[in-house]
Amino acid sequence: MDLEATRQGPAGRLRTATARAALGASALALMGCDGIQSALDPAGGDALRIYRLALVMTAGGCLIFLLVTGLLLYAIFAAPERRAWLGSRRTVVIGGLAFPIVVLSGLLPYGLIVMRDTDMPRPGALPVEVIGEQYWWRVTYPADQERAAFATANELVVPVGRPVTVSVTAADVIHSFWIPNFGGKIDMIPGRVNRLTFTAERPGIYRGVCAEFCGDQHARMAFDVVALEPDAFADWRDGQAKPAREPDLPDLARGRALFRAGGCGSCHEVRGTEADGAFGPDLTHVGSRRTIGAGQFPNNVGTLAGWIANTQHIKPGVRMPSYGSFTGEDLRALAGYLESLK
Amino acid sequence: MNLPERPGAFSPQEPDRPNPLPRPDGEFEALEKAWKAPRGLSFITAVNNTYVGLWYVATAFLFFILAGILALIMRAQLAAPESDLVGHDLYNQLFTMHGTVMMFLFAVPAVEAASVYLLPNMQAARDLPFPRLSAYAFWAYFVGGLVFFGTIFFGLSPDGGWFMYPPLTGSKYSPAENADWWLLGIGFIEISAIAGAIEIIVGVMKTRAVGMSLDKLPVYSWAMLVFAVMIVIGFPAIILGTLLLEMERAFDWPFFIAERGGDPLLWQHLFWFFGHPEVYIIFLPATGMVSMIVPAMAQTPLVGYRLVVLALIATGFLSFGLWVHHMFATGLPKMSLSFFSAASTAVAVPSGIQVFAWIATIASGRMKLTTPSLFVIGFLFIFTLGGLTGVMVAMAPFDWQAHDSYFVVAHLHYVLIGGMVFPLFAAFYYWVPVASKRALSERLGRWVFGLMFLGVNVTFLPMHVTGLIGMPRRVYTYPVGMGWDALNLVSTVGAFMIAAGVAVFLVDLARNFRFAGEDNAGNVWNAGTLEWLPNGNYATRSIPAVVSRDPLWDQPNLPKDVEDGRYYLPGTATGGREALVTSPFDATPQYILQIPGPGWQPVLAALFTAAFFLLLTVKLVMLSVVCGVLAVGCVIWWLWETDPGPVRPPAHIGGGIVVPVYVTGPMNHSWWAMIVLMVVYGMVFTCLIFSYLFLWLVNPGAWPPRGVDLPERLWPVASAMLYLASAALIAMASRILRGDDRRSPRSVPILIAAALLLVSGASATDLWAQWRTGLSPSTHAYGAAVYAIVSLQIFFVLTTLVMGLYTIARWLAGRLDSIRRTTFDNTMLFWSYTVGQGLVGLAVVHGFPRLIGGL
Amino acid sequence: MTRRRTGQVALMLAGLLAWAVQFTVIYGATSTLCGLDRADATLLGTGAVQAVILITTFAAFLAAAAALSWSLRTQRRMSGQAAPADRFMTQAGALIGGLSLIAILWQGLPALILPACA
Repeated sequence: MDLEATRQGPAGRLRTATARAALGASALALMGCDGIQSALDPAGGDALRIYRLALVMTAGGCLIFLLVTGLLLYAIFAAPERRAWLGSRRTVVIGGLAFPIVVLSGLLPYGLIVMRDTDMPRPGALPVEVIGEQYWWRVTYPADQERAAFATANELVVPVGRPVTVSVTAADVIHSFWIPNFGGKIDMIPGRVNRLTFTAERPGIYRGVCAEFCGDQHARMAFDVVALEPDAFADWRDGQAKPAREPDLPDLARGRALFRAGGCGSCHEVRGTEADGAFGPDLTHVGSRRTIGAGQFPNNVGTLAGWIANTQHIKPGVRMPSYGSFTGEDLRALAGYLESLK
Repeated sequence: MNLPERPGAFSPQEPDRPNPLPRPDGEFEALEKAWKAPRGLSFITAVNNTYVGLWYVATAFLFFILAGILALIMRAQLAAPESDLVGHDLYNQLFTMHGTVMMFLFAVPAVEAASVYLLPNMQAARDLPFPRLSAYAFWAYFVGGLVFFGTIFFGLSPDGGWFMYPPLTGSKYSPAENADWWLLGIGFIEISAIAGAIEIIVGVMKTRAVGMSLDKLPVYSWAMLVFAVMIVIGFPAIILGTLLLEMERAFDWPFFIAERGGDPLLWQHLFWFFGHPEVYIIFLPATGMVSMIVPAMAQTPLVGYRLVVLALIATGFLSFGLWVHHMFATGLPKMSLSFFSAASTAVAVPSGIQVFAWIATIASGRMKLTTPSLFVIGFLFIFTLGGLTGVMVAMAPFDWQAHDSYFVVAHLHYVLIGGMVFPLFAAFYYWVPVASKRALSERLGRWVFGLMFLGVNVTFLPMHVTGLIGMPRRVYTYPVGMGWDALNLVSTVGAFMIAAGVAVFLVDLARNFRFAGEDNAGNVWNAGTLEWLPNGNYATRSIPAVVSRDPLWDQPNLPKDVEDGRYYLPGTATGGREALVTSPFDATPQYILQIPGPGWQPVLAALFTAAFFLLLTVKLVMLSVVCGVLAVGCVIWWLWETDPGPVRPPAHIGGGIVVPVYVTGPMNHSWWAMIVLMVVYGMVFTCLIFSYLFLWLVNPGAWPPRGVDLPERLWPVASAMLYLASAALIAMASRILRGDDRRSPRSVPILIAAALLLVSGASATDLWAQWRTGLSPSTHAYGAAVYAIVSLQIFFVLTTLVMGLYTIARWLAGRLDSIRRTTFDNTMLFWSYTVGQGLVGLAVVHGFPRLIGGL
Repeated sequence: MTRRRTGQVALMLAGLLAWAVQFTVIYGATSTLCGLDRADATLLGTGAVQAVILITTFAAFLAAAAALSWSLRTQRRMSGQAAPADRFMTQAGALIGGLSLIAILWQGLPALILPACA
């Protein structure tokens, strides 16, 4: 796994928090951990409230299901004189009319109360803006008192314990923003701005996905969600607000030259350099991200190089063309430079 | 107006047989001759409900198999993570086609088809009131559906999901023709569904056994009535939606483009206003079938008939208050969502009523565990589970998690397979003896049931979990290590079990299904309803009088008496095909409806209609227009033979009852059909007005947008005057065309022609009024909405033009007089509708912006 | 269809028709008020959205209750001679009216729990 990325990062606290969260991760897969994208493992109050509602309804549903199928089998197999009481209009009135009305008269207000308390606007929430694009996520943290605004991509880092309000919209087609461990989903619709408020209550690494079919690569549109302790989050934010760091090795400098010569900057921004494209993801701190390709592959020199050379093969239909003309050495340098942008 | 001569003479409790034996010589032969099916190549021109119904069912079932194969390919792809079996491109077409074909080419046509076959038999009608319309609906569906499906072999299938959300399906993000195939292909298959719905409404209301009053109507007929009304109310929304989206794609009118004042959510409202009722549209007929099968299998009448009818009607209403529960995650205010949450909760109650009515019926009888029973039990099991998860997703917060995840995939397959496919298989096993010389095999049937029942649960039960642990829908692959692998593999295994069950069913069909015209397998289940009467091409020899809901149980001699011709209308009064029209509430005989027989017109009209739409899709505009004109021509040719007039004096049908062979006005079957059609138009227009108002709310303070001027008031006033004047002329023509002396005054065609000029002038005036202000349909959604209203009106005026000219032609040909005036009446009804719609359109387009005053 | 029959059908469906009108009015009013950014508007001392919902619910409930009691009264008055279809429609009207009362109440419930336009 790409723990290296965070270990070498600027923040001390970040290391411990992420490392702890990543401990349970299986080495088998890209992130490889059951439950990092699960509504059944709530990591925040909103998800927990929904989870409880789900438990209540599942339990109730199972009971009702057993009751109905039990009665059905009884009606078929019990001796005629024993089942006779069941064969009247009274059964329909009690079982089909009165019973559902009583049960649902309880469930409906409960559901409405959960609805009221879930995804509530909260004062002091951390604002984040996320724009869905085919097939990645543009994430912007607005400026606050201490720091300038900055953009990142395919990664949402949130503090534990402080509500977060994500304002979402879409740049092209409809997407849907869903982090199962934190709560429900909210659609990202061109021309509309929707808001989703949730609070992370357990530090860790989670995963969000696009839940509305958005075209060719809908299946490969995910993002990492990292919940950090407040201090670690502040450190992370400080780091992200800074411009990209200068390459300190000749090989990395060569990578930057290739980045420039290859025209990468016309689509991608690397703050602090002349690369200021706004079309694709901001790459200022791309090396600090856990994954690339919108939550698809662990982030390291090898996958970065593979991505650049074979984009259209790996994720056909994305806007970025394959840059297959780089030599292997150039690719390594270019990928190395990107990987160094912590 | 011609009324039955002795309306009071009839009493439904009358146990006497209305006709004496022996029957006159030649009576039966004449009946048989009138109903003989065409032979040889022209066999395809047959219009008997038994033929068309069977072809229709078979075609629908073919699409079930084809769409099922698509699902198997998808399941094979998803069996393992990161699989390369099919690429994203094909997969996206596969899931789009699977949903679209299952919903539009299998589910709705299948239940409609079954009713074309069953309804007349169950109500002891000789045929549906518009047999050629059924044939037209079938052939349009058959040709259009097969071509539409064929696109999958050329990579041309739509790939934006069966829900076709713009902007993804707009021309910017889907420039290829794939999306057009969906819009035009489905648009016109819906027209076929509406044609069927009109047929069913009029059929249920007007052609029943004598004495089959509302309280004795088979539950299946009730279900089909509610079904058809729901289609009439719900389908116009999707027709309008496809129209708007196609106009956006073809002419760049920005209904759904946010940058120019449109809104993608408008499509979702229109789609789901149709889409949710659609689920119940599929489900209700299936419950109707179950309510017929359960009493037969338990050998006892249905318990709680009135409650079941209540459930059907209530479901029909409430299901129109659910559509936003497909949009719980779109960010609408919670208050708005909650209304739909409440209605989604309420709709569970009627389903509960039905489930308990069946349980009570089973308990009060003695259930034989036949294959139909097994499928019914399987249905109850699966559907109850699906209904309970339905209540779960009705709670908006839970749905925020479940929505667009595999949980919903599980839920919808439980309700649709449980609620529709299982009852349909029960119906196959139950009703095949009506259509075939042999019943299907009970032994094979058990295998079919076992494999399908296990298969469905193995496939879809795990998906509830797959969804809640995070797997979204509509993904062509998924990463390793998410914990989804094993569950998906299990689902794939289950899918192939279902397929195996269906394969065994095909074997059973091949071995045992032998089409029977007259020598069917008979009442093998000892069922109580009229479809089990002995019948031939002419349906039943005579039209029975019934005194209960299960006449075959309560009137033991009924089959023999009916077959001997001792009941009503044992022969043919006019020498041609006829149906006995009964009053809609008490089912007393009203008149003899002369039914058209076989003919090429509906087949050709359907072919050209299909060609029109399909050629339009591939942008062969000229050829397409030619086909469109030919289609209209064939329809006119077909209509020309209808409206026969009173070809003979009122006839005796038995029991001293004498009924006319021709009536006009509100008793006439085509008057009813016209009224229903006007409701369809009214719904299309209502949805358009809704769209206009919706777009206003998206652009508050900019309606009309800056720089756009409304036409001066003079214009709409002039246009309205012209509309009213044209309606007045038609009313005058109608007054002149009255009288019992079969007059056909020369002033009638002149008045019609003058009215045509006025009505055309009215819509031209309005178009010109908008055009001269420089309003463009493509710069802003406001212009698009205004021109959409104007264009729809122009379309109606053009249709009025065709109908008006046709009416004049009837006069010229001597086929229109003061008695034989159904054609005129229908034109007049349509005319009033066009004028009414025109006036409302003017009021909205010119009045609303002034009313809100810049709000 | 005669006027008497039309009236009969309307009465049979009255409860559900009341529900349909209620649904349309409350959804339309909520969408319009929220769409025009009038979440804060008040009516009769409470939020306008809630007030419209509660008033509409009350009116619809009364209408459905009236239809129900009318059906029940007619049912009692009906002699043994009444046509089976008439009897059936009155009975169905009573059932529909009863079920509609519940649906209408549930439909209005959100006004007591949820904020107007959030």
